[in-house]
Amino acid sequence: MSSIVATVSNIWTIDSLHKIELDFCGKSIFMICLELDNSIKVGTKVKLAISPSHIAIAKDFRGLISYSNIIDSTIVSINRGEILSSVELKFNDITIESIITTTASKEMDLKIGESIKAMLKATELSIIEVLND
Amino acid sequence: MSKIRIKTTKTLYGSSGEMLLNIDLEINKGEFIALSGPSGSGKTTLLRILAGLEKSQGEIIIGDKIWQRDKIFLPPQKRKIGFVFQDYALFPNMSIEQNLLFVNRDKELAKQLLKVTELYELRKQLPNRLSGGQKQRVSLCRAMMNRPKLLLMDEPLSALDTAMRTKLQNEILTLHKKFQTTTIMVSHDPSEIYHLSSRVILLQNGKIVKDGTPKDVLLKTTGSQKFSFEGEILDIIEVDVIFIAVISIGQQLVEVVINRKEARELKIGQKVNISTKAFSPNIRSL
Repeated sequence: MSSIVATVSNIWTIDSLHKIELDFCGKSIFMICLELDNSIKVGTKVKLAISPSHIAIAKDFRGLISYSNIIDSTIVSINRGEILSSVELKFNDITIESIITTTASKEMDLKIGESIKAMLKATELSIIEVLND
Repeated sequence: MSKIRIKTTKTLYGSSGEMLLNIDLEINKGEFIALSGPSGSGKTTLLRILAGLEKSQGEIIIGDKIWQRDKIFLPPQKRKIGFVFQDYALFPNMSIEQNLLFVNRDKELAKQLLKVTELYELRKQLPNRLSGGQKQRVSLCRAMMNRPKLLLMDEPLSALDTAMRTKLQNEILTLHKKFQTTTIMVSHDPSEIYHLSSRVILLQNGKIVKDGTPKDVLLKTTGSQKFSFEGEILDIIEVDVIFIAVISIGQQLVEVVINRKEARELKIGQKVNISTKAFSPNIRSL
């Protein structure tokens, strides 16, 4: 599980379906969820989680894509296994892990220090903790 | 001293009518078997038949000893069994130590068992001074006192809280490693089954429907799905362009997003299997 801390900046609701916009180090990210805890309002700081295998990596990306969250990041480490590779990505001071196939990591010729885009689907993000401070 | 051979049939009369208990089973010495299955599937009856508390047709042979065949039917006290019940069944007027020595006057064995289960200091106490977990440990020790060839346990830990359950699981495991007693334990708790047993037998309507390792029997997966539960659809709610199925799984409700086609095909009240791949769930310490 990779987690990031962000602050809720907007909430759209249709019945029990919610779209939430969050401020993550000055950048807007979006998540979709069902029931939302009452304590989560605009201004609430939360911890978001996403499974590393749900974070895609794009390099030299052009065109449009339906992923709501595209975060410019830097590769800090690559651990290539036989089938899967764990790639550590850094955005500002936050490190998140992406698990992709080793075939993809080789075909993309990913290197440490390289700038890439981390892509997170809004439906794969979830709030795991409300941080009250 | 080797295999246990059980081939037995008995007609049972339960709430859902007549049912034939039909068991054909071979157990290796030292195996720890978890006996699972829905209530009324015949688990407790099978234990009682093995203990000699109920008659049935067929045969029960333990190594070279015949417990039951044709006209032979050994009474419970002639079978070398230990029985642990859910409700402890201790003698209230005897101390812990006396409860053990009543079965067999082997003081050394009693001491050994009470030490393993951390009850030695309490040996002079009466059972009513003990907690549920301690009482069940006494009844486990007592069941081990005649060095049973077969230890039978009928949901021994189901009345205990989670912490005590884990502690007793560890003690059962320690005793099993030390004495290598062939054991059959009725249990519904997957973590208990996984933790303790080497083989799981699933009974349904009096018959063995599954027999394998805990992982084979308990991991309810099809294809590459690794996270799988059975539940019942309580409601299907349309929201925007998606649908939300409200499903009860065990003691809790979950919501699963489904599409229009699934919403049309699934019916409220229907039993369903909910699964996801092992890659998806998030895990967090409590």
